[in-house]
Amino acid sequence: MVLEREILPFLVWLLPRVDSDGVLQLGALLLVLLIAAALLVASLFIAYLRMIIVQGPGEGFYAVAKSVATAVTKDFPNTSWRRIGAMTKLAILESLRRRVLIVFFVFALLLLFAGWFLDPASDHPARLYISFVLTSTERLMLAMAILLSTFSLPNDIKNRTIYTVMTKPVRASEVVLGRALGFCAVNSVLLLLMGVISYGFVVRGLSHTHTIDPDELEMLVDAEGGQVLSGRTSFDVGHRHDLTLGPDGIGRTGRRMDHEHQVWVEGEGENRRYRVGPPEGALVARVPIYGSLQFMDRTGRPGEGISVGKEWTYRQYIEGGSLASGVWTFRGLDQRQFPDYIPLEMNLSVFRTYKADIVSPVAGTITLKNPTTGLTSEALPFGAQEFVVYTHPIPRALKAVTAEGTLIDVDLFEDLVDQQGDLEVWIGCSDAAQYFGMAQPDVYIRGQEGSFAWNFAKAYLGIWLQMIIITFFGVMFSTFLTGAVAMFATAIVYTVGLFREFILKLVGGELDGGGPLEALLRIVFQKNVQIDLDMGPVIDRAVPVFDQLLLFFLWVAAIVFPDFSEFNTSRFVAYGFNISGNMLLQHFLVTVAFVIGLSIYGYFFLKTREIAA
Amino acid sequence: MEMPATSEMASTQDAPSEASGGDVIIQTQNLTKVYRDFWGRQKVRALKALDLEVRRGEIFGLLGPNGSGKTTTMKLLLGLLFPTSGQALVFGKDATDVSKNERIGYLPEESYLYRFLNAEETLDFYGRLFDMPAALRRQRIDELIESVNLGWARRRQLKEYSKGMARRIGLAQALINDPDLIMLDEPTTGLDPIGTREMKDLILRLRDQGKTVLMCSHLLADVQDVCDRIAILYQGELKELGRVDRLLTVQDVTQIQARGLSLEAQDEIKTVIQRHQGTLMSMNNPTSTLEELFLNIVRDSEARPGRRAQEKQ
Repeated sequence: MVLEREILPFLVWLLPRVDSDGVLQLGALLLVLLIAAALLVASLFIAYLRMIIVQGPGEGFYAVAKSVATAVTKDFPNTSWRRIGAMTKLAILESLRRRVLIVFFVFALLLLFAGWFLDPASDHPARLYISFVLTSTERLMLAMAILLSTFSLPNDIKNRTIYTVMTKPVRASEVVLGRALGFCAVNSVLLLLMGVISYGFVVRGLSHTHTIDPDELEMLVDAEGGQVLSGRTSFDVGHRHDLTLGPDGIGRTGRRMDHEHQVWVEGEGENRRYRVGPPEGALVARVPIYGSLQFMDRTGRPGEGISVGKEWTYRQYIEGGSLASGVWTFRGLDQRQFPDYIPLEMNLSVFRTYKADIVSPVAGTITLKNPTTGLTSEALPFGAQEFVVYTHPIPRALKAVTAEGTLIDVDLFEDLVDQQGDLEVWIGCSDAAQYFGMAQPDVYIRGQEGSFAWNFAKAYLGIWLQMIIITFFGVMFSTFLTGAVAMFATAIVYTVGLFREFILKLVGGELDGGGPLEALLRIVFQKNVQIDLDMGPVIDRAVPVFDQLLLFFLWVAAIVFPDFSEFNTSRFVAYGFNISGNMLLQHFLVTVAFVIGLSIYGYFFLKTREIAA
Repeated sequence: MEMPATSEMASTQDAPSEASGGDVIIQTQNLTKVYRDFWGRQKVRALKALDLEVRRGEIFGLLGPNGSGKTTTMKLLLGLLFPTSGQALVFGKDATDVSKNERIGYLPEESYLYRFLNAEETLDFYGRLFDMPAALRRQRIDELIESVNLGWARRRQLKEYSKGMARRIGLAQALINDPDLIMLDEPTTGLDPIGTREMKDLILRLRDQGKTVLMCSHLLADVQDVCDRIAILYQGELKELGRVDRLLTVQDVTQIQARGLSLEAQDEIKTVIQRHQGTLMSMNNPTSTLEELFLNIVRDSEARPGRRAQEKQ
């Protein structure tokens, strides 16, 4: 699974630090405080400018100061949960009477029809099913959140029902908070319902079994002289498995389409039946232990990997048949967690410069090294194919090469893992003129197994957090915009948040083709991104200036708005990786920060709005 | 409509601080409102330097033709609009101070209520906004629903209500907090003659309970029936202010009522009542109707724009 951004430990993420490149990273806490301070100054300045126009500099200053003082000394301290509860209940009743539950039935209908189009016979059916349900839930839920949150308050103002509310001792903050919480509650129930039927849809959709024809089984003798049955299952749901049944009548099928089955024999003589269990291994939640990656160049010295010309620079490549390798350092390994072996998993990219046999794996080696003593194991061979997760259990008993070049028996934890629990894993490519592409998350040790159901629920928590942020944005915008404009503004926030990385690259000048206006002109006048714009001296000078201005606003938006792509954890579930609690905690804190900030903004917008104007 | 007697209210109602002007409940000083467009350009000067005082326990009427500024005044007092200049104080607090609303009940011109709620839910919702405890809310809801005769429709959504029913539930929500000051915008609009009579009786009863009522209405007869003092606004300016009985007294005319006069004698009565041994029943100044007064002011204001009122006590 691709992880373009490292998931940092909670405190490292929260507090300032110096990263591996020696650059000071502010950390989430300081960043939020800085953004809040900048927004506070900018907001007060804009409010003051506005009040200068209306009331003059002296009165304007007094008005702004009074608003802030009233908020801090009167309105916020006198917030009543009963009033918030009243607004929440109103929002819930309003949503229910507007028949929002129909969305749930739309979703159920969507799943019914999806059954026709999702192919359980695809190479990775679990990925397909999980990605589909999570993506459709997310889109439907966020659309729902935008619609519910943005039209309610403007409708109240348009219908003047707000008159009877704002003439009660209700604070603007209570209106904003109550409304938002009400919509969040309704959407939460919807999300829960969607989650339950999605889970059932995935589990049922992937559930299947096979039969075994006894005539197709072949009797073999294993190394210890036992009788072993070998054969294959029936062809169902687009695949069949090879299988082996041991002398005890229990066995397993081979792995196909990310799963395998248990096989066993029931009965004796004429009543002898071969049974195949449900699919196993398709719905998993691996808990990976990631290491840090360092490349060795073709001379065996620390350096960088090679670019094979792909625009996506996520992975770097090592050359086969050379000393180039990727070195992962895993820290804090404990033999109590891995008493028998270390389950190393890898998902390397393969770049072939010749393709004589596209099906055969490209050969590589794994070497283990003690980072303190330098003791190195003998090379363990493996074969890598594109898009295949290769599992290599590293046994405790290994051979190591001494300084004198002799092979000795060593124990993985006693000799190769050092006192601190650190271990280096060197991966090289053996086939000359072939390349392995590597990124840090491509190789990991598979720790304990998490629960798939809980992992699935955690993905829904990610959607839930996004829904909360979107709802608060919607309500905040609706305090000063009309319903349609508030909806549009919220949709823009979501879009900017979704494409945050792209916008930051665009602002950073990493993409060709100029800013938005230049890109538009290039499309209209069919000028590709590699040639000059060349539309006359005035336009050539004016366009970059205008684009710089637009890009500045886009940059501010990308910095301030939430990174929704980060909240989308569906790929973790789809690829069978556990969503770490650490990451969820980070997302939760980000959500809390937005809820607080947006509530405060909503309060001031509503408080300073002439409701009856 | 039989209004419930004063119930014990939430703690905010227990010890109302006296308004900073003694018995003055509402005070406006130089209150001006100018509506502007998006660019800040002046569109309408809706209210011009209004000075007004409403005292505790009186029924005060705001009168004026459409666009005269009476609804603007009420909205400024409620904090739904912000003054361009001047000041509006309610219970001695700035009109934009939310805490003043704890002692105010407001019945808007139309029933701006949530149509998807039923009567009980509506009153419960507004009761919660006053931070009223559940037991007190239930008690007030029962009292008010009975008093506005909507017991039979308490579970029906307001969208199924007739205009009169909506008006009555609107009144109930205005009284949910047992307010000291009740602001009524066109209170008899949409009511049938019996409902109108009941509304006027209610207003008088609220006054008798020591509450202050500020109302604005187009229906001059209603205002004449219930208001102690009135202010007449025209084009945003205060044109007339004072007690209704004083305003309607025609000072320069003497009215004589007599009994037992023949037709002939009646012809000569203007000069020699006593010589014909008639019994003088009364001699006073006649009163005009509020409608006449109102129309005179409008005509006068059109003829002499800018003339402002002096309060007549």
